[in-house]
Amino acid sequence: MLMDYLEGTLGPEDRVALDVHVSGCPRCVAFVESYRQTPRILRAATAASLPEDLAESLRRFLAARR
Amino acid sequence: MAAPAGGEGDEALAARAAAGEVLAFEELVSRYQARVYRLACRLTDDEGDAKDVLQEAFLAAYRGLPAFRASSRFSTWLYRIATNAALMQRRARARRPTESLEAFLPRFDEDGVHAAEPADLGAASRADELLDRKLLAEKARAGLERLPGIYRDAFVLRDLEELETAEVAELLGIDAAAVRQRVHRARLMLRGYLGELVGVKP
Repeated sequence: MLMDYLEGTLGPEDRVALDVHVSGCPRCVAFVESYRQTPRILRAATAASLPEDLAESLRRFLAARR
Repeated sequence: MAAPAGGEGDEALAARAAAGEVLAFEELVSRYQARVYRLACRLTDDEGDAKDVLQEAFLAAYRGLPAFRASSRFSTWLYRIATNAALMQRRARARRPTESLEAFLPRFDEDGVHAAEPADLGAASRADELLDRKLLAEKARAGLERLPGIYRDAFVLRDLEELETAEVAELLGIDAAAVRQRVHRARLMLRGYLGELVGVKP
């Protein structure tokens, strides 16, 4: 149920009931907020871009094996 | 992985590449190399491994092209190849013993109320926000590396690569409920691990 709530897939009645509880509980507000932030933080922190020399070495690697 | 807008479709290019047109294959490589590399970095622990995965994935794609059927999207097909290459690369590495991130799962007392959050993780100075951000990014990457493999795979594909749950389920050979469960646990562990950097109070 917690998982459904956090993902926003909980049915409307349960969601409203939990919303009421969560909004009155600072710990819950912080919990939900940090839970939802976590994927965004990880996405930004791991968005590696391809170094140019690697693209070039990939091209050579593949050309040599055709 | 959505196909880039404009130009010839991936599947048409793949058909021409399968028929031996080198330029068509090179176009597919140039469309997808950055995304495959980013995925490889997220699923493996060092740049050398990510480079190997990048090469192996495109080589396997090249060799597998004649068997590619346009009934599935090229991007999904390539993602499967790249994910498999990354998982094989990781398995080939001797697992470094790491402290489990499970210690960072949230705790609830008998009444379902939050118990104290997991141990303090070393308070970061809040004085310098830039430093905080850098620290946060480093800590996020370290957390991902320490995540047990099954949680990491589901989390990377679903939350970082933003594939649909059903697609992740197919790629990992598990059902959708298991994907959601693993992603959820991964978020909880990472959230706890990031600690007060994301506002988790010790």
